Amino acid sequence: MTINLRALVDPTQDSGVPGGAALLEFSEAVIGPDRERLDAARDVLALTLSPAAVSGAAAIAGNFSKNDRIANGCGIPVDSIVMNITEDIRAELGLNDFRSAVNTFKHM
Amino acid sequence: MALYDDSVYPVREDLEAVHERQLAQFGVAGVWGSGAQRLAVARETRDAGIDAGIYEVPDDPGPPNANDLPNAAKKVIQKLTVAPKDFLEDSYDEALAGGLSDAEFVEMVGIVARITAIDVFSRGIGVPLRPLPEAQPGLPSRERPQAAVQEQAFPPTIPNPPEGGREAEELYGKQPKPYIVRGLSLVPDELRMHVEQEQVQYLPMGKILQPHYQHHDGLSRAQAEIVAGRVSALNECFF
Repeated sequence: MTINLRALVDPTQDSGVPGGAALLEFSEAVIGPDRERLDAARDVLALTLSPAAVSGAAAIAGNFSKNDRIANGCGIPVDSIVMNITEDIRAELGLNDFRSAVNTFKHM
Repeated sequence: MALYDDSVYPVREDLEAVHERQLAQFGVAGVWGSGAQRLAVARETRDAGIDAGIYEVPDDPGPPNANDLPNAAKKVIQKLTVAPKDFLEDSYDEALAGGLSDAEFVEMVGIVARITAIDVFSRGIGVPLRPLPEAQPGLPSRERPQAAVQEQAFPPTIPNPPEGGREAEELYGKQPKPYIVRGLSLVPDELRMHVEQEQVQYLPMGKILQPHYQHHDGLSRAQAEIVAGRVSALNECFF
């Protein structure tokens, strides 16, 4: 299976993952302000994959909401070993333009 | 009655147990904050999310807030909750200038992050935010790790072994850990609880490098990473 990582920053693209569109929509809705959109996204995800997938996706969305706050709150840099192996993908997805990228680049 | 008995979606028992324990623990004195202060941080986080429209008002919020946080704390919580991508080094400097110590700041970041993980999960499975507990009496331990030094994060951190010595080995084990694990190490209890959530909500740390390891029923590893990557992209988290 080939995963199209561009779908992470452009959800109109096909991620190449089964149920990917439903997962992308749920991920955006669960941290957004539109409750009706979230309710619809949850229903679609349960139908497309399974009810258990809703719980799993909710757990992961919560976990990375946590990690994003720890990473940005503590201003941690990406470790050099990770930077070395993700150079191409960071450039392709535009991650280097994120404001928090400065926490890494200021140490390079 | 279990914490998520009202969910129509199945919830892992280990996740439910961790959330139940960590919600109760918000009301217990920590390393730098009393139970009332820690609860006030959790409640302020929720209130910021409710005011921003990203959480719904819970049916049962729990006991009313009995502690008024300083403005410096409220600013940190507001920004981290609603716009984490805008939290930069000047925000950290402003927090310290406003009277927070570096260790108080780290404990607060840990609480904001962990209640967010719990509340996003509740919202995701379609149940109201869970009530917060009563504050318990007791004093914070005020134990600062001796090994913590200024590395590359905003607050001091405990370096990996061997530089971090015994404290590092106790927290991290023998293998070096990335900054996403070590970021909260100025308050080791917060680091432990962050990792505890990580193990149930994402996957066990020892399995991260196994690309086909499946932790959640109904989600392959690739599907799990789609959620992780999309949420982080929306939060503009470079990490």
